[in-house]
Amino acid sequence: MARRPVKGTEQHRKRPNPLDAAGITYVDYKDTDLLRKFISDRGKIRSRRVTRVTAQQQRQLARAIKNAREMALIPYSGR
Amino acid sequence: MRHYEVMVILDPDLEERAVSPLIESFLAVVRNGGGKVEKVDTWGRRRLSYEIKKKPEGIYSVIDLNATPEVVKELDRQLNLNESVLRTKVLRPEMH
Repeated sequence: MARRPVKGTEQHRKRPNPLDAAGITYVDYKDTDLLRKFISDRGKIRSRRVTRVTAQQQRQLARAIKNAREMALIPYSGR
Repeated sequence: MRHYEVMVILDPDLEERAVSPLIESFLAVVRNGGGKVEKVDTWGRRRLSYEIKKKPEGIYSVIDLNATPEVVKELDRQLNLNESVLRTKVLRPEMH
């Protein structure tokens, strides 16, 4: 499938990787403030398309979020 | 010997001063088994995202330790047998 054509210029294409920007190498499930940035209002894990992280980082995030859910640090579902 | 991180959620009805003796009593398993407890970080009372055993909050504690897999397995078993323990999680941070 073709990628959605990018409107405008640089600004649209360049969205930094939020994990690299924060210098995080190990995604800790105890860091709820960080994990909350990667879940929607409903508590669902945001897709890679939205988060802009690498595939490896997305897996690490997903695992951390699921661990955090098990320990009642973040909700399984909001509302 | 491996490095483990154990998180426990304790019953919020426990008295504040009863918490650390209780954790210590569990950690005796590790010490007797030749393991080493690196750090015990008790967060204290924290609101749960959802109720566990009808309790709206829990006392969180994170324990860093070095031990053999058998010892940690026994520790987790002992924790889960205790009524005051709502939930546990054992993790090897280096694995990820």
